[in-house]
Amino acid sequence: MPNPKSIAVSLFGRLRLRQSGGLGGYLLVAPYLLHLTVFFGYPLLFSLVLIFYRWDIITPMEFVGLKNFVRLLRDDLFFRALLNTGLFLTLHIPLQIIVALFFAELLNRPIKGRSFFRAAYFMPVVVSGVVITILFQQWFAFDTGLINRMLRALGGEPVPWLVSPALAMPSIALMATWKNVGLYIVLFLVGLQHIPKHLYEAAELDGANAWQRWWHITLPMLNPAMVTVVVLSTIGGFSLFIEPYILTGGGPLNATLSAVLYIYNQAFYFNHMGYAAALGFCFALIILVVVLLQRRFVETDTWS
Amino acid sequence: MRQLREYLGLVLLLSGLLLCGCHRPVSMPAPAEANVRLVYWTAPNPDEVALARALVAEWNALHADVQVVVQPIPAGQSSEEVLLAAVAAGTTPDVCSNIWPGIVHDFVKAGALLALDRFAGFDSLWNSRIPPTLHEVFRAPDGHVYQLPWKTNPIMMLYNVTLFKEAGLEQPPRTYSEYLEAARRITADTNGDGLIDRWMGYRDIRPIWWQRYFDFYAFYIAASGGRTLFDARGHLALDTVASNRVFEFFARLYAMGAFPKTSLQGGGGPFIRGQLATDFTGPWHLIWLEKNAPSTLRYEVAPLPVPDDHDGPVYTYGDYKNIVIFSTTRHPEAAWRFVRFLVSRQADRRLLEQTRQIPVRQGLLEDPYFASVFAKYPLLARFAEQAAYTRSVDSVPDLKELLDAIAQEFEAAAVYQVRTPSQATRRALRRMQMILDWNA
Repeated sequence: MPNPKSIAVSLFGRLRLRQSGGLGGYLLVAPYLLHLTVFFGYPLLFSLVLIFYRWDIITPMEFVGLKNFVRLLRDDLFFRALLNTGLFLTLHIPLQIIVALFFAELLNRPIKGRSFFRAAYFMPVVVSGVVITILFQQWFAFDTGLINRMLRALGGEPVPWLVSPALAMPSIALMATWKNVGLYIVLFLVGLQHIPKHLYEAAELDGANAWQRWWHITLPMLNPAMVTVVVLSTIGGFSLFIEPYILTGGGPLNATLSAVLYIYNQAFYFNHMGYAAALGFCFALIILVVVLLQRRFVETDTWS
Repeated sequence: MRQLREYLGLVLLLSGLLLCGCHRPVSMPAPAEANVRLVYWTAPNPDEVALARALVAEWNALHADVQVVVQPIPAGQSSEEVLLAAVAAGTTPDVCSNIWPGIVHDFVKAGALLALDRFAGFDSLWNSRIPPTLHEVFRAPDGHVYQLPWKTNPIMMLYNVTLFKEAGLEQPPRTYSEYLEAARRITADTNGDGLIDRWMGYRDIRPIWWQRYFDFYAFYIAASGGRTLFDARGHLALDTVASNRVFEFFARLYAMGAFPKTSLQGGGGPFIRGQLATDFTGPWHLIWLEKNAPSTLRYEVAPLPVPDDHDGPVYTYGDYKNIVIFSTTRHPEAAWRFVRFLVSRQADRRLLEQTRQIPVRQGLLEDPYFASVFAKYPLLARFAEQAAYTRSVDSVPDLKELLDAIAQEFEAAAVYQVRTPSQATRRALRRMQMILDWNA
């Protein structure tokens, strides 16, 4: 484990830091600590206080005890937003894993132009989510969208991608997968490249076919990457915001209202800062429980 | 030690740069000789900005001691959000003329506004200008007046006369039945591609609370004979019969395809292209039509359709915008003088001529001073007549979310018809009550 101070010294070789009790190290970490305190620590503590208050930014804060939580229990829109987020995760995570695994397998083979494809699949990850969402808005538009124009040209019927309450969330899941899959391809690719070749050779000698080798060697050996992908896409899925905010505003019929979008609306649309903090607190607890459960069930000891 | 000093210097430099970025932006410089400088925020649309600039130029020429700088309300998702941020940051202007009455309750509670009734000459202005029916509407619960009603935009039905005549209709529809019958005759697939391309009307179907002013709320006021959502004591008093009728009326229109469920681009474009037979809008739209509509387009305005058994005058939503003086002003008396100038007869006439919006002024139609304007713009006179039968919004906290509850149900019951009108009304009431209980 490298010592942070030694890293600092190597990075800033001109500095002669004392080995103990010096101020230099603290000064080096001070900007980050300041940033952490101002933009994370303080808001976090403040939001924990806010959950017991009603505050609309412009009038003084008013202590309301547990009233925000009482409202939360009666708020069917919040529960709808939680269900929508759950639906998104149910669609998004398996889709993400299947697509990422498929392309990681392809890109792990010695195909022509492999470097180009690896870069191309990663490209959407580094492009702004807002840009991609606006792009998909053009593609998904019912009357004038690229996809429906192509469907019409092929003699098909236009699909109400974002207009139909049943299709709106799957459409968003499709878009989110396209945007993020590059990152997960890289993670699986790293996992694939670290699987020892002799395991496949031994299996082949034992008469295992390609499917058996994949199922009994590749998949278990990818478990660490799988855990990372599942946890990252779960957290990413829970924070679903930009896509419904720009594409649908949470509609139609609240079918794409995600929990984060609802919390945002309460905070910045209706100026219910205390209530939004209470919603956020409950939502954070839900995420924590889900992620812990996922780790409990997905994570295994690869070598056992 | 030298390195430590270098680092401290760097930290100080970065802090200085950060602080430089936090300074309050300086607006347009006031003339050096002015004793008093006021900042006046106006609505950001081009016509109102032009009006404000003209009025301010006139004021500045007459008042060397009080110079006014006009600024459109800074860009944001809505004027209310920008004003709220300004109140929170203490960067409000001296005077603003684009205040939606629904937000005044919060601003008063925050101490952001000056009571106008403390100024000399308020009573005479209030009593001579503002119709008595509005006196209590715009008075705060503490008995003071913090907003001066400036203009109103009654929501009426704009209709394409030619399309109606082609459908064999000589008169605009007055009732729901007549409107639905007209919709049956006018809605059509004109190019034979199997898709409807001419509709009776169009509304933005997204559940955005303020969009419902121009359909549900205006129609609810009309159907209920002029009721709003709350009674005079501030208790929720939704007229469930009127609410059900409005939901059902729009549900039938959407079900028969007379209103499209997709987004029609181009603002007022579909109406002037003959794709829409009617539009529910205010007088501000007239100037846009004058500039953009082809000379062959014949259009008229009429009151909103009402239930078949409706009796009495047809009320509508007034879309009032009022003037306030923010408590951050350092020159309240000068600000009050400027406000009085903004509501003078001359300024009101300019408001009519330059923006086609209706000043809140008693006896507007009878005053010979304005007669030539109404003679020149007869449709404006229709809106001015309707102005006597308007309602504003209730002065209650959380009005935005209360209207959002209705917007959610409008989408469900009217646009998608997944709930019956009575279910939608019940659900809207339940959610509104939940919000009110939380806020009690």
